[in-house]
Parts: sequence; C-alpha cells; structure tokens
Amino acid sequence: MTLAPTRLVARGRARRGLAPGGFALATVAAAAGAVALAGCGSSSGGVGAASAVGVPIGVQSPLSQPLSGGRRGGTLTVLNHEDFESIDPGIAYFTLDYEIVDATQRPLYSNKPNTIDDPVPDMASGQPQISADGRTITVHIRQGVHFSPPVDREVTSADVAYGIERGANPNVANAYFHSYFGSLVGAEKANGGPFPGITTPNRETIVFHLSEAKAQIVADALTLPLSAPVPEEYAKRFDARKPSEYGNYQVATGPYMLKADAEGKVLGVGYQPGKSATLVRNPNWNAATDFRPAYLDQIDINIGGDPTVIGRQVLEGSDMVQNDTPAQPIVKLAYEHFRGQLSISPGAGSRYVAVNNKQGPFANVDVRKALWAALDRVAMNKARGGALVSDVMTHFIYPEIPGFEAAGGLAGPSVDYNAYPSGNMQVAAKYMRLAGYPSGRYTGSSTLQIVGATGSPEAEDAEIVNQTLHNLGFHTRLNLVEKSVMYEKFCGVPSEEIDVCPNVGWIADFADGQAVLDVPFNGEHIQPSGNQNWGQVNEPQINRAMGAAETLVGAGARAGAWANIDRELVAQAVAIPYDWEKAPSIESSDVAGVSDLWNGGTWDYSFTSLK
Amino acid sequence: MTRYIVRRVLWGLLLLVLVGALTFVLFHVFPTANPARLRAGRNPSPRVVAEISRNLGLNRPLPTQFWLYMRGLFLHFNLGYSYYSEASVRSLIFDRLAATASLTIGAAVIWLGCGLSVGIISALRRRSRLDRASMGAALVLISAPEYWLGLIAIYLFAADIGQVKVLPGAGSYVPLTTDPWKWFTSLLLPWLVLAASFAAVYARLMRASLIETMGEDYIRTARAKGLPERRVVLRHGVRAAINPIITIFALDVGTLLGGAILIETVFDIPGVGRLAYEAITHADFPIVEGTVLLVALVVIVANILVDIAYAFVDPRVRYS
Amino acid sequence: MSAAGEPSAASTAPEPALAPATPGPPLLRVEDLCVQFPTERGLVHAVDGVSFSLERGRTLGIVGESGSGKTACSLTLIGLTRHMGARVSGRVLLDGRELLGLSERDMRRVRGAEIAMIFQDPLSSMHPLFTVGRQIVEALRAHRDIGRRAARERAVELLELVGIAQARRRVDAYPHELSGGMRQRAMIAMALSNDPKLLIADEPTSALDVTVQAQILDLLARLQRELSMAIVLVTHDLGVVAEMADHVAVFYAGRIVERAPAQELFSHPEHPYTWGLLQSIPTLFGPRERELRPIAGSPPSLIERPSGCHFHPRCPYAQPRHAEVDPWLEPLPGDRDHQVACLLAPQLRRQLSSQPAGGRAAAGAIVSGAGREAGA
Repeated sequence: MTLAPTRLVARGRARRGLAPGGFALATVAAAAGAVALAGCGSSSGGVGAASAVGVPIGVQSPLSQPLSGGRRGGTLTVLNHEDFESIDPGIAYFTLDYEIVDATQRPLYSNKPNTIDDPVPDMASGQPQISADGRTITVHIRQGVHFSPPVDREVTSADVAYGIERGANPNVANAYFHSYFGSLVGAEKANGGPFPGITTPNRETIVFHLSEAKAQIVADALTLPLSAPVPEEYAKRFDARKPSEYGNYQVATGPYMLKADAEGKVLGVGYQPGKSATLVRNPNWNAATDFRPAYLDQIDINIGGDPTVIGRQVLEGSDMVQNDTPAQPIVKLAYEHFRGQLSISPGAGSRYVAVNNKQGPFANVDVRKALWAALDRVAMNKARGGALVSDVMTHFIYPEIPGFEAAGGLAGPSVDYNAYPSGNMQVAAKYMRLAGYPSGRYTGSSTLQIVGATGSPEAEDAEIVNQTLHNLGFHTRLNLVEKSVMYEKFCGVPSEEIDVCPNVGWIADFADGQAVLDVPFNGEHIQPSGNQNWGQVNEPQINRAMGAAETLVGAGARAGAWANIDRELVAQAVAIPYDWEKAPSIESSDVAGVSDLWNGGTWDYSFTSLK
Repeated sequence: MTRYIVRRVLWGLLLLVLVGALTFVLFHVFPTANPARLRAGRNPSPRVVAEISRNLGLNRPLPTQFWLYMRGLFLHFNLGYSYYSEASVRSLIFDRLAATASLTIGAAVIWLGCGLSVGIISALRRRSRLDRASMGAALVLISAPEYWLGLIAIYLFAADIGQVKVLPGAGSYVPLTTDPWKWFTSLLLPWLVLAASFAAVYARLMRASLIETMGEDYIRTARAKGLPERRVVLRHGVRAAINPIITIFALDVGTLLGGAILIETVFDIPGVGRLAYEAITHADFPIVEGTVLLVALVVIVANILVDIAYAFVDPRVRYS
Repeated sequence: MSAAGEPSAASTAPEPALAPATPGPPLLRVEDLCVQFPTERGLVHAVDGVSFSLERGRTLGIVGESGSGKTACSLTLIGLTRHMGARVSGRVLLDGRELLGLSERDMRRVRGAEIAMIFQDPLSSMHPLFTVGRQIVEALRAHRDIGRRAARERAVELLELVGIAQARRRVDAYPHELSGGMRQRAMIAMALSNDPKLLIADEPTSALDVTVQAQILDLLARLQRELSMAIVLVTHDLGVVAEMADHVAVFYAGRIVERAPAQELFSHPEHPYTWGLLQSIPTLFGPRERELRPIAGSPPSLIERPSGCHFHPRCPYAQPRHAEVDPWLEPLPGDRDHQVACLLAPQLRRQLSSQPAGGRAAAGAIVSGAGREAGA
C-alpha cells in the first residue's frame, strides 16, 4: 500500500551565524519601530499574496517571489565574502555549498523555492512507494536526463545508487550517510562499493531495503544531494584518490554546470578556491524534464572582500546579488533605503542558551525557569540585528516547521516564565524561591562555568546572559573562545562540566519536528565528545515520547506528536530559547531574485532572472 | 666577502628547517581545532571522523607525520594538499603570489618615494610649518587602522560606490597579463592605502635619521670643502642616514610578501594573505603551514640580502 | 659692553705693525667681528668685536678655553656659521675682498679653495662610507674642471705631499682603515687640494698622541714654507702655539684679551688670564713639587656675561671697580705690538708677572692692600 506523500525536506548545515559587522559603524539595527510584523496569510502592496511569519511589509520573502514569468538571458554576478566548503555533491553540507549543488545536481526529490515540506520529484518520476511493513522504498527514475559533458550519456538508476554508495567511501566520508541511511541493510559495512541495502532491478528503478522500519527518515533524506546521480565509470578513478577529487572534476545533471575544460576538469576553470566560481548552462539539460525555468545564461561568483563593501556594491550596483549573509549594517541599510531589494526568509534556525541539566544549579527545573524568566530575549536579539532578522523564541520548534503552530506559534505556551520577552525579575525570583532560595537569588557557593564564542554578536549575547546570571545572584566565570573550539573542546564534551553555553544554535535538516528536537534534547544522543545535546537533557518520559514519535508516519500525526514533545520541553525548561532566526538576502535593483525557503533564503540560480 | 655570504646563506637554511619543524609542531601537536571533525560536518559519528582523519593522514603517529612532512617539504618542495579543495598547496600559493607581489611592490615604490622625500624635506626644514604639518599627518596615518583607511578610501573614491567616483573599487583586480591598464588602475587605491602608513613611518624615520646625520662632523667638512648644499645633503647626508631604512625596508617587504591580509580583504585582491586567513578559519592546516613557511622563507631571504647589502654599503661592517 | 653692530671699545686699538713675510697688504683682515646666535635661552654673544690681521705665509695662533668664542670665530671666517642661524656683523677681508656680504654661491667658491679648514677629529670629520681618495677627488672637482682620472692622480700626489707612504694604495682606503696620524694627514691633503691661501686649523692635534702631534705640526710648518700659506691655528694648547705661531691672540668670553708676537707673549705675558694659562702648563723643567694651578672657576656664559671686565669673577686681582668698567684692548706703553685689555695698572702687572709662581696669591693681597691703582 502506498502511503500518503510524506514530507521530504532537506536542510543543510547552519550557516555560520550572521556575518560580523566588519569594521564598520553601528551594529544595532533599530528597525523595531518601523517594522509591522505581518501575520500569516495577509499582506499589502505589490509584494505578493502570501507573506511569511515575521517578515515586514515591503520586504520580500521566499513566499512572495513569483516562480515564473522571468526574462531569459543575462549573466548574474554573485558576491560572496565566504568561500565554499566543498562543491562535491557527495560531501557538500553547508548552506553556501548548496547554492551551487542545487543548480547543478538533481537529487531524487527537491523543494521548490517557496516550500520547505512539500518536495516534488526531481530525478525521480513519482512519489516514493513505501511497502506496508515500512522496510522497502521503491523509486522510479525519470527518463531523458543526461549528464553534462564529457560524460553526456543518459542517467540510469545505477548512477543514483552509486551517488549514495560513494557516501560511505572513506575518501568521500559523507557526513550524514550513517545518520540517515544507516538503517539500510549492510550500511555499516559499506565502504564505497555496492551493498545489499540498495538494489537496481532495472535502469529505471531503484529499491531501498531497510533493516528497521525507519522509512520516513530514508525517504526524507532523498532530498539531500547524496542522491544526485554520479557516473561510476567516470568518477571511480577520482574517488580512489585520498581524499576524493571527484568534486574537482564533477559532471552535472541540473540546468547549470561548473565551467570545465574538455576533460571535465573544474578546478582552475570553473572553480578557483577562494577566488571565484563560474556556472554556465549545461548543454545536455532538457528543460522539458525539469520544473526549473533556468532563465540565466551564466552565473559568475566572486569570492572574498569585505562584507560591508560587498553589500553596498550589490545594493547600488546592477545585476548582482550577495549569497552569503550580509553584514548587519548592510541589512539595516537595505531595509531603510533599498527595501525592495531585501528578502527575508523565516525559519532559518534557532538559538538558545544551553544549561547543564545533569549537574550543578541548573539540574533544578525551577532554576532553569528562573533564568528563562529573567533573560531579556529582546536585548539578545537586538545584538543580533533586531526584529528584522530575529523573532523572540518562545518554544523549540521554529516557524515553517510542521508543529510550530500546535506548539504555541509565535507567542508560545502561556506559562508565566515565558510571558515576558524582555525579562521579568519578579517571576524569576518566584522560581528561585521555589527552587529553595528564599531570598529570590542564588546563595550557593558554586561558580558557574560559562563558555561562549568570540566575535560579534556572540560575545554580546554571552555578556547579556552573564549579566542576567549575576542579577540572579550567581558567581560566574565567563570564557570566550573561537566558535569551533567552543563546540569541540568545551560545550560538546560533557566531562568538561560546563554549566552554561549561551551561543549554541540549531537548524534542522528536514522540515520535521524530529529533525529539530531529537538530537539536541534526546537523552539517547548524549555523546562523550562531539555531543550536540549540549544541555545533557535526559528526561525519561521525553525520551520515550521521542522514540515513539520517530516511528510515526504521516505529516499530521508527526506534527502533532512533536508539538506535544515541544510543549513538554517547555514545561521542563530544558534550555532557554531566545532567537528564531530569519535570514536576510540582498539583490541589486534590476534582479528578480527568487530565494530558497528551505536553504536559509539563499538566491536560487535556477529561478532567478534579470529584469 | 664570499665567505660572509656563504655563512649567511647556510644559517638561513638552518633557520628555515627550524621554522618548518616548529610549524609542524604548532599545527599538529597543539591544534585548537580538529580538521577532521570540522570537515566532517554536523553531528558526525565517530566513525566518520575517524575515516576522514585516516584520509588526511592525521591518525598516523606524530613522528611519522613529521618525517613525511619534512621529507616532502625539503626534498620535493611538496607542501601538501588542502583539506578542502584538494588542490595542491604549492599551486594555490603560487597562484596567489603574483597578486600579492603586485600589491607589495607597487606600494613599496610609493612609500619609499613619498616617505623618504617627505622625511628629507622635513629634516632640512625643521620646525617649519611644512615640517610640523607633515609629521602631524604622518602620525595620523600611522595611527589609523589599515582596514579603516581602506574602507574610507573605498567609500570616498571607488567608482562603483564612492562619493567621488575616480578609481576602480573593491573586486576590480585583474592579473597583469590579462589587462595591464586595468591591473594598474585597480591597484592604485590599494597601493595608496597600503603605502600610507608605511610612508608615514619611513618619513619619520628618515627625518630623525637625517637630522642626526646632518649634525655629524663630516657634514661640516663637506660644507667646508665648498660643496653645493644639495650634494652635501644627498650624497653625504642621506647616504649615511639611509642605513636603518634599508633594514626595515627589507623586513617590511618580506613580511608583506607573505600577504597583506587586511588590504587584500577590503579590496578583494586574491593574494596569499587572504588565502592564509581563509585557511585559518577552516583549520585547513596544509595551507596555513604553507603560508607560514612562505613568510619565513621570504623574511629569511630578506634578512640575508640586507646583511649582504650592508656589507657593500657600509665598509665598516665588512670585517665582522 | 657693546651691542651687536656697534663698534666695540675693544677694537679701536690700531693694528700692530709686524714686518710682513711677503710685502703687500695683509692677506686676512678681520675688523670688529661680532657673531651672535639667537637661542631659546637668549642671545649668545659668541664673538664680541674681534679684530686681527694675518700676513701671507704667517701663522696666527688663537688660544682660549672652550666657550671662548675661538671656534665660532674660525667658522665664521670660512662662512660656516651661516648654516647655524648666526647674526654676523663686522668685516672679514680676504685679499681686500669682503667675505661677509658674499652670496652663498660666491662664498662656496671661496670655501675649500681660497680658504680651507681642517678639524679636530679626522675620524668623525671624514665621511665613513667613502674612500679617502674619493673625498679628495670630490674636493678637487668641486672647484675646478678636471677629469676623474686626473683628479685621482692629483689626489695621490697630495697624499704624498703630506707624507703618507704608499699613497697609491692608501688612496683607496676608508678613513677607518688608517691610523690617527695618517687620517689627519689625509684631511690636510684634502684641504690643500685647491691651493688655499689660508688654512684654518681647528684643534688639529687635540685628538692625536703626543708624538703624532709633533709630526703633524712639523708637516704644517713645512707646508706653510713650501706653499706660502697663511695658517690660523685655533687651539687651547699653548704648547702647540709656542711651536708654530708667529703671532698669538688670547680669547676670552668672545673677545681678544691679549695679543702679541709669540715670543713676547711667552716671555712677558700681561693679562692675568694668560698668566693662568701659562701657569697651568706642565713643563719638563722646574721643580717637581710645583703644583699645576688651573684657573679657578669656569668660563662665563656667553648669554649673561659678567658686568664690567668679563674676567673679573675669576681674576685673583680683581677690584670692585672691575665689575663696572669694561677694559679696552690697548697697546702697552712702549710696545705697540703687544696689546692687553686689563684694568690693572701696567706697573702693577709687571710687578706681578715677574713674581715667582707661588707669590702671585700673596700679590693679590698687596694689590687689594694698595687699593688705588691708576684706572684706565
């Protein structure tokens, strides 16, 4: 029996937060006064019918940009100040990497720019067919899709199979192969060659065999680039090198390809690391087989430079966009003077303060509630750029993810410690008393270890948290280190016994409550190193509820179940939320940009056109 | 003289080996980030991290890694491969060297010309208004952060976003071989900004050095011989005053050839400095090691050249 | 006391007549030379109304402590005080030609050609980065149109002339490679390159060993004879003066306080300052127990000079009146060649000067006891 269409969404790794403000001037955007937060569903002006959560009037969002009617032709110039991490579709796992992969590769399923939970068949020709016992997924491959030169031939199911298999190749070492495809039969032993979990009975069919009933996850994961086809006979020799060099010689199935020479070499031709990348039309792409319009003829990506300079060049120039995060002053400038050129994409992730649930003062739920009540979430967001790019976070599932409304929507559960976005010391004091401190302030002897990240605005947020803790009577030791060090050496290592990690954040890989809540809050996922359940949250009833919700099938049921888990997490105040991120993007005035809701609002090259 | 040179060169080589070893120790023994984990992306399972580690050669015992590294470095000039782009570090660096060299040499010409002449004039017209004005301006330029100066220059003069649109702005760099005129105009603003603070330092140095030199007895003798003042100043005065400038100049150019990170970032010039900066943020160790070694090499060579130049320029040095 | 620009009292005494070595007017005539330097602390009266003349082929010794103005005077003769912001008045006549008013360009033609100067420390006075030969060639080519090779030959000749052995090799040596004596010879060679009529030697031997000193002085004497060159020898060392000078001027506080032919000065010094100078010379003869007696006190500030006779604070025989009256430089009765600027009566002075050394202090008592003496 074929199940109803499941929600398949892909979401890459979080971008590295909002870009630093460079050495430029004021960083605080005081857009609060001028912002009229549009509610869901209504808007005015010529911005489009649908409006996204928390996007002000006059500003674009992925839900307002038209997906058709663009002018064909022209070259788009992209200014990024960050470089890609990897352009190999089997390795790419970063928001910025996805902008190239999305234009050049066709995974089995893809999202249109304005959806996050409603993918359409891309390389597949129809919805996945899941067997009754949930252990077999059958997908039919679309016909008439060809690889770009020099491979040229038609894509078959074997190519899709190889695309996924190479993820297990140590020379490729795809980061999510084991997380999402680990339930395929033989996946633990896979190392780049065929394994029983994937079979291709004929050129047009690929079948996935699971050892456990986790079809949902596998089906979700088919929107990730790993399922894009890779020609084995061409790629084999590159995948044999340590590490694999296929990325520097890759071929494309999408409307665009990285410029390459006659032998297919991309490195030095279409991609100069740290300098530039060039996308040209894929001559073997057949528009009839693809939902993408592909208006542009060429995309020139320029890497490097100062974010504030780049921002101005884009806003004041022509035929340009910036595809990584603009600097805060640029966002403010765009909002005030170039409003029509600004696009904001909600649902770009969340930030919260992780507190140690296992030991120390925060093992006590009332102390956690006290901190929640005391923290000035508006101030935390102001440091990040204000209401334009952030919403006050009131629970743990974030906007656009199914279950958001059921879990409380923008306002969140109506408990008193959640009711004051600017913080309320009286409510905080009340919970401190409940926790056993009659004065309303901490009177114990331990000094809290706080580890935050250097750089703006992380340091400012860490300082606000630090100050709030002082107001509650705590003694603290605040240590700011480089972000990767913060994760690797301190917050991600339970044995370091850090009490407060104020600069952690999360963004889901799919639009599904599990992808948002499971890893960070499930006690089963606590690891001795590389731990991402930073608060070491381990509530038995929550763990059980999550285990049960994992196996549910059907969007509605899952949304409901995970929303309930969210409410329970709020009730236990497992962490202190503050920021639902909205990602800004900017374009020149003569660009009709279309941004991807499912990828942090980055501009989608296959839908963007020049006016 | 030859022995002197040979000795200096041998010392230089030894120093280079030491720097290579020290770099290795810094990046492999005391790293603050694990490149394998960074490369592994989010929520990596330990198995993935181990696989990547193995690929990057990070799981071999340190002495083996050290030996392989040193051998590759000094026998084959192999600087390794980038963890991310899998391009050879050597090719990446050489690719960027032309841009950095263009930036450095052009700026050096400007700062030497301006700085020295302002310094000489100021020394000769001590305490005049010109002197006070130029030394004051020099102080401002020395104190101004380079990055800020670059941004100001762009916001004032860049052709795309400036107030007075005279010079090409950020991101307009092209290599010399592609379009010489465009190469030249795109570098004018970066040259001026980069040269600004150096020129100021050199002006002050030259002024101080020349004032001291002009007070020497041999200047009095030169005048007593009836020489024209210009000759006294330039041939007798400046010639003697320029010694400290030579040392500093070689070191400055040497360090800059390792990459002027700030200017390269602001003006979006694809040079060695930016390469190093990005590699650092990615913990792409081979590139970082490569650029560190490059800077060390250039500084060592510059030092050797200075020592040799001194022996030619100042005969009193030769017999040490 | 004289203000700048006004003829000072000290200079009204007529010039002594000395039988010229060569006939004709004196080569150098200095009349009422005043040199002042404005500084932050005040106006420095370095030279305050100095007059003298010098014949061709003769040597004038200028003696005094540091701060007496002798160096300022010698630098002004060659025009080098212009670079220091000096205010100069008076007249300096070289062969009848007024030098002070010359433009800098014209003065440059004189410097290093008609007037040459050598300095005290040849190591610091020669450029360390150029060879000796190049520096001499430079001096040659600054004043005449001569090819490089010819100039180099001439340089070698000059080095031989000043007594440097292996001149052809030494011409390519750097100053620091030569010994002290050879360096000074080289500097002399450089000064001689354009056949100067007048050589000013500012402390030429003070930086040298005693034995080398004698050699250099011999050299200078020989060169003077051979080239008929006048020499102004500026020094604090009376021994040097005794050897070489025909005529001596003793400087104090920017003025000449005694002037006489060398013989006369040493046998019959008249000014108490000169007595002090002579007394403080160690000699090989005379009782060993005789103490060296430096002159008490230190040279006066040239900004705030003592009132009246500038020497009175240090003079053992000073009277209260000496603090009010400024003496003029006047010839001794009966000897127009010998001039002194002193308020003590000539007879008293003669009496004091003939006393043995130890008796001078007691003589001070006699003087004050005697009270009046003939005022000047």
